[in-house]
Amino acid sequence: MMIKHSEDLKKLPKELSDAIARLSQSESPPAVLASGALAETAASSRVRIADGKLNVTDGPFTETKEVVGGFAIMEFKSKEEAVQSAREYMELYRKYWPEWKGETEVRQIYGPEEITFETGRMELRAELKHDKK
Amino acid sequence: MDMRFMMMVKSAENAGAPPKELMEAIDKLTAEQSKSKEGRLVTAGGLAPTAMSSRVRLSDGKLTVIDGPFVETKEVVGGYAVMEFSSREAAVKSALEFMELHRKHWPGWEGETEIRQMFEPEEYALDSGVVSRPTPRPS
Repeated sequence: MMIKHSEDLKKLPKELSDAIARLSQSESPPAVLASGALAETAASSRVRIADGKLNVTDGPFTETKEVVGGFAIMEFKSKEEAVQSAREYMELYRKYWPEWKGETEVRQIYGPEEITFETGRMELRAELKHDKK
Repeated sequence: MDMRFMMMVKSAENAGAPPKELMEAIDKLTAEQSKSKEGRLVTAGGLAPTAMSSRVRLSDGKLTVIDGPFVETKEVVGGYAVMEFSSREAAVKSALEFMELHRKHWPGWEGETEIRQMFEPEEYALDSGVVSRPTPRPS
């Protein structure tokens, strides 16, 4: 889960942080393997490769309106459950921070056991490729 | 205490799959770093194509679910690693080594690694009614 928003936001209302904290205290809380907030892009760097050349660029990065500000790695039985959880999370923002604008991007994570090098290049295992769930 | 960094690797989605030689070279670098003081790997993974992903967006008080593919940016995050370093400089140096492997083993590939310090929930400062955004520790 990647949470994206513009960088000119400063403060999370306490009502929202309390509501987020309550999520993890519910009867069947989602399994969060890791989560965190990312430093502002002004304090970040990029190492870019283009046309065979490496370049280091220091932030701020302003070419996109929204940047990843935080993330959570979570476990679900299906993509539908993951999207539903993101929806509940964003619903808290809607309720407690109505002027906030942004999104949670839901992307499945693959580890070494889900990839193969059968063709000499990295690929998802065949049985996962067409699984759109 | 070590600082944790989120390394996000971004590239065009039609870049194709990384060659086996690159992944082997990355595994070797990771193994070397795990024995040294800089660059201990906490967790890493590859992300599903955006065609298999979704976004839940809040805008003007409305929630919308959008299914991928997402095509409004040329490059998207394709993988990530959470790593520990003693300074931002050490993190950038490690990203340079990582990208050098791409240059060597995957000629023609274009993309970048974005290096962002990360803060875990217990590191956020709480003060009178608001949660402040974390202040990066000096590097």
